Amino acid sequence: MAIVTDNRAPDKRAPDGDAVTRERNQAPAEVSAKRAPRGRLARFFEAWPPSVLLALAWIVGMLFIATFVEVLAGYAYTAMDLRARLSPPVGWGGDIRHLLGTDELGRDVLSRLLYSIRMSLLIAFFGTLIAAALGTFLGILAAHFRGWVEDIVLMMIDFQASMPFLIIALAVLAFFGNSLILFICLMGFHGWERYARISRGLAISANEQGYAGAVRQLGAPAWRIYGRHILPNIASTLIVSMTLAFPETILLESGLSFLGLGVQPPLTSLGNMVGYGREYITRAPWIMLAPSVVIILTTLSISIVGDWLRDRLDPTLR
Amino acid sequence: MLRYLSTRLVRALLTICFVVTFAFIILRLSGDPALLILSPDAPPEAIEAFRKSWGLDRPVWEQYFHYFAAIAEGNLGRSMRDGRPALELVLERVPATLALTIPALILKIGIGIPAGIYAALHRNKLADRLTMLFSVAGFTVPSFVLGLLLVLVFSVNLGWLPSGGQDSWVHGILPVITLGTAGAAVLARFTRSAMLEVLGQPYIRTASAKGLPWRRVIIDHALPNAAIPTVTIVGFMVGSLVAGAVVVESVFSWPGVGRLLVIAVANRDLAVVQTILLFVAATMVCANLTVDMLYGWIDPRLRTRRVAGAG
Repeated sequence: MAIVTDNRAPDKRAPDGDAVTRERNQAPAEVSAKRAPRGRLARFFEAWPPSVLLALAWIVGMLFIATFVEVLAGYAYTAMDLRARLSPPVGWGGDIRHLLGTDELGRDVLSRLLYSIRMSLLIAFFGTLIAAALGTFLGILAAHFRGWVEDIVLMMIDFQASMPFLIIALAVLAFFGNSLILFICLMGFHGWERYARISRGLAISANEQGYAGAVRQLGAPAWRIYGRHILPNIASTLIVSMTLAFPETILLESGLSFLGLGVQPPLTSLGNMVGYGREYITRAPWIMLAPSVVIILTTLSISIVGDWLRDRLDPTLR
Repeated sequence: MLRYLSTRLVRALLTICFVVTFAFIILRLSGDPALLILSPDAPPEAIEAFRKSWGLDRPVWEQYFHYFAAIAEGNLGRSMRDGRPALELVLERVPATLALTIPALILKIGIGIPAGIYAALHRNKLADRLTMLFSVAGFTVPSFVLGLLLVLVFSVNLGWLPSGGQDSWVHGILPVITLGTAGAAVLARFTRSAMLEVLGQPYIRTASAKGLPWRRVIIDHALPNAAIPTVTIVGFMVGSLVAGAVVVESVFSWPGVGRLLVIAVANRDLAVVQTILLFVAATMVCANLTVDMLYGWIDPRLRTRRVAGAG
């Protein structure tokens, strides 16, 4: 019977509601800290688990790189040094001029990596933003008009959710050709249906609450009710879903770029670097390993922060 | 039950129409394929003849109806590159893709579901933490990175397994592992959270309070209820059997549908891309229909109520 009670310990019993993050990240040390009389440090780490702090540090580092890439990168991402082709990273026989080695054209892998980080983050950021705006708009539209408008939105949601997005993206890319703007817009169609579902549900229930009714009685137009009153009330849920969707957008972008169908050379992104680096996997694995590590750590960090935010801000989201 | 099924069926047909329209809009209005296939400095007569033979000279709405009619007859056009029927090109690639995705699906279900159940039943123990670690990795490591890492270790460094091609079943090991691992991680996470949710329900407490052995509580009460959300995700995986391997096939140069799609996209081969799009849509819709029917069987409540779409 001991197992029974253990299994049933519900999430919500944790004092500050971040049970899931803690349950995943909790180091054994924290368990004992929880049982012992809790010091200030222990309480701090309970609110801010070490894994979340590390993840936040990594994200801040990435943002810093994306902002100051021109200053940080030692070389332009197209600068070639044909005499130093495929030179290995420092520590594997390479020299200090190219910390992470060079690729088949003698381009500095570290500099290219930094520029790639900026490109991938920019695409994922705008993609997520567009998807959130589009989805929220359609969701609120459905909640406002109900009837056939809602039916159409729901049908579009079903359609989008039932097709693998990669296939749709490939079809669009094939036939509209490829430009950066188009590619970002395409990323903006990824996952809009989730925001639409969430915002529709939330807006319908918000409409039935007193505050929306009160503003309506005062004669406010619909855009004002939604923009100034309902949207701020559902924003935290939407922000959490954006954080959770962001890594997926990064993965989608890098997947398409890996296939050679996303970001086109001479521009460079993380997936694009992996795609071209794999030709040299036997002779120069660092070309492909460096961006791979960045992709993994970035998506991991954002997922950890997203889960943590969800548990803090909105435990109703799953 | 009949009404439930018929609404499902109507929605499935609507989805197919939606995809056909989408394909038509995207594929036909995005540029002049005649100029893409023939070089821009081809003689005007040749371009004219090409347009005529592909029906590109007629008004758009007429093309649209022709398109619907042609698809209804199973005529999906010919590959613009080598002139063979697109459907034939796609169908001959299907077995290769299934040879990867079916073992991968078995791997996903065989590892993911038991791992998820076990983790939920041993919540917060070591096994649970390891499972969650594994599933987080499955979410954050892209399949092409995983595939290339496996190649780096098992082909380049150890030299045990081939890194690409499709000459024998040995060539399939790395791609299947790559596909299966990521899917198993996703499935484990879903199963675990579904199980945890069910285990927190009052009827589980009732069942164990009335003295039912814990094993029976799990088998008779917890598992069937946790199966409902799990079936959805498995259905999605079955639906993507044909298209689920685009990236992995490219990593391992596996001559399946996914690789054909990537090549067709790169060559802007209209007919092949639209055939794959429709083929994928059809398999997804069939899988969703099957899942809907399974729902009706697993959960009688859903026979009457509206269910949210899979995904």
